[in-house]
Amino acid sequence: MTGTASSPVDATIAALADPTRRFVVDTLRSGPRPAGEIAALAGMSRPAMSRHLRVLRLSGLVEEESPAEDSRIRLYSLRREPFAALEAWLEEVQSFWNDQLAAFKAHAEKRGKGSAP
Amino acid sequence: MTAAVMVSVRVTLEPDDAFDLFTKDVDLWWQHGPAFRMRPKKNSRMAFELGVGGRLVQTFDDGAPPAVFATIRIWEPGERIVLDWHTNNYKPGEKTEVEIRFRPTENGTRVIVEHRGWEALPQDHPVRHRLPEDQFLSMTGNWWRAILDAMAALRSGD
Repeated sequence: MTGTASSPVDATIAALADPTRRFVVDTLRSGPRPAGEIAALAGMSRPAMSRHLRVLRLSGLVEEESPAEDSRIRLYSLRREPFAALEAWLEEVQSFWNDQLAAFKAHAEKRGKGSAP
Repeated sequence: MTAAVMVSVRVTLEPDDAFDLFTKDVDLWWQHGPAFRMRPKKNSRMAFELGVGGRLVQTFDDGAPPAVFATIRIWEPGERIVLDWHTNNYKPGEKTEVEIRFRPTENGTRVIVEHRGWEALPQDHPVRHRLPEDQFLSMTGNWWRAILDAMAALRSGD
């Protein structure tokens, strides 16, 4: 199965185990933002935020890009791939437990006959 | 669900009976599907070693080493079980968490399985101190659901 703690998913979960990094992901859901703005929204110094952004970048959750019209601006945005990998893991786990519980129900109905309230 | 999965089923048994069947009869109902890269059920037996510290384990008649699925962390008969889930395909030290609850309903029991992937969050993480465990889990759970929904919306908006 299942519960296959495949490494991309591990990295995603590990990166998001930190509340500041979850805040960054929440913030970026509405669109790309520069690092300074993210730090200000979080009420953190830029160096402190930059350490978190680095973890998010290395785990592939965010990327840093310049808009075509201005190469001096660096914007952070969410990458979709890690979330897709996580969703695939969740689907696998869900289908595993659905099968197990269906089997348990069938067994319970067979064994529990007559004892049901 | 959450960064976790929640599935449930209703059975027409009292919670105590459902708990007993779930644990003591696990060999009779557990599915060894093809998706489950474990050895086949033939000549093997699944068992919960009842109580905290016990394991969910598959043993083999031919003396092959047992396949350990999980270790029991919380054991409340008739109510719930919490497992540290670490099947053979996990790397050493890796684990996820599975909670099985037996909730009484009008004419039976709802058995709820939640499989969470929070192992990466250290036990001493500050977030764990600020909130009661259940509240913490549902908060993070809702958070993950919101994130995944948002990502799905992004994908479909392409």
